[in-house]
Amino acid sequence: MAEQSNIKLTIALVIAIALQWTLRNVAEPLAYIDFPLIVVVYAALQRNSIRAIIFGTVAGVATDALSGGLLGANGFSKTLVAYIVSEIARRVYLDNLLLRIPVIAGACFLDDLIYYGMHNLLGQAIEGQMLVTMSYTLLATTIAGTLVYLVLDNLSAARIGGSRRKEMFGPRRQTRRRNPIRLGRK
Amino acid sequence: MPAERSQKDVWRLAPWLMIVLLFGNFVMMAYDARAENQERMIRVWTQALARFIQSPVSYASSAVSGFYNSVAGMRTAQSENDILKQKIQELEIQVRDSREMSSEIERLRELLDLKDTSEFKVLPAQVIGRDASVWFDTAIINRGSIDGVRLNMPVVVNGGLVGRVTAVSPLTAQIDLITRDKSGLGAIVGEVGNSDAMGVVRGTGDSDVLEMKYVPGYIEVKQGDVIYTTGQDGIYPAGLRVGEIVEVSSGSATVPHQISVRPSAKIHGMQEVGVLLYTAPETPDFERSLPNALPEDQAPGN
Repeated sequence: MAEQSNIKLTIALVIAIALQWTLRNVAEPLAYIDFPLIVVVYAALQRNSIRAIIFGTVAGVATDALSGGLLGANGFSKTLVAYIVSEIARRVYLDNLLLRIPVIAGACFLDDLIYYGMHNLLGQAIEGQMLVTMSYTLLATTIAGTLVYLVLDNLSAARIGGSRRKEMFGPRRQTRRRNPIRLGRK
Repeated sequence: MPAERSQKDVWRLAPWLMIVLLFGNFVMMAYDARAENQERMIRVWTQALARFIQSPVSYASSAVSGFYNSVAGMRTAQSENDILKQKIQELEIQVRDSREMSSEIERLRELLDLKDTSEFKVLPAQVIGRDASVWFDTAIINRGSIDGVRLNMPVVVNGGLVGRVTAVSPLTAQIDLITRDKSGLGAIVGEVGNSDAMGVVRGTGDSDVLEMKYVPGYIEVKQGDVIYTTGQDGIYPAGLRVGEIVEVSSGSATVPHQISVRPSAKIHGMQEVGVLLYTAPETPDFERSLPNALPEDQAPGN
């Protein structure tokens, strides 16, 4: 089961890197979506720290190799993000889709901040509007990430049992109507 | 059958693995930052490997974008049609004139015994990928060292200059676009020999605007003037069209102009480009001995 999950996530990562590399030529704004990060965070949410860290490094270095930035900068940021998210996922219940939205947003913000910071630290300052780029990336990645997780969760939920499915997509809680007699209305 | 790691082992191992990987990445970064102009094997081979995955993905994505572009194009088709009809009439007159001129040039050439000398060949290439990071602006093409592509070769499209080759694998090459904030090239407003308005064109990080610096404030430049390469930067040959001036913040006798330039090449959505098989002339000996000269292996001509 774990091997199957590894293979699926690896395929997802390869597709994510290919999309990251291609979609910019279709429409420039699509460059703001960080597909490899979405997959890395998803892997980290599965509570397997080692797999998440390795995924982070591989995704990061592959992205760097296909980019004009410093080789290893994305590897560094994504490794760190993967570790932090997997540690949070180990301690906090994050199986609900709504709870994952702030996680992907936070991960994206941290990833950008580390990436930008490492370039500045090593004297390769990135010119341009940092805040604007970060904001767009944060928005685009969070929205795309939420949709991707919805799809991935649905795919895995179809395979797993009903109880776990209910945990992930829990129905709206129904409050029980109280007996008016017991509320003092006689 | 190997025993599976317990959850406790995983939690214990993870921080150490993270530290090792972070250190590895940091070493790579530091090494890359030290000599930015050199190409890295890992980059070169990843790009070559990615080509096999990329080609079908790129084909599919260009088909999708082509479909949407054609749908969007239908809306403006009528007005474009009218403009094009008018242009055809104008061009027919121009073609007639140019035919007469070319036959005249041919006659004069024969008279002067000049040979048709083309400075460099153009190698057509397809853009198979763009920078995976939103912070940078590079592109990958499907031509590499096997096809004769070398470092620093200029890349053009019909409209003008696109950038230069910064990494070459046997099957692919990476192009640094002129719009990248760290790119720079020697340029002139007007053609070399007819103008004194020389300066440096730099990328701004914004894909639609370049900036031209160091053009003396006492030289008149205006909106709409065309900018060409000077050929004096040791990378690009002279006479390549860079862009058109869109805004001038006038300088004075002592303050240079601040010029905004729109690139001639349509950099976004470009599918095909041409690599100029041009190698810059070698740096003269006296320039190599200067204290700020680049080492032999990093010089643009090599």
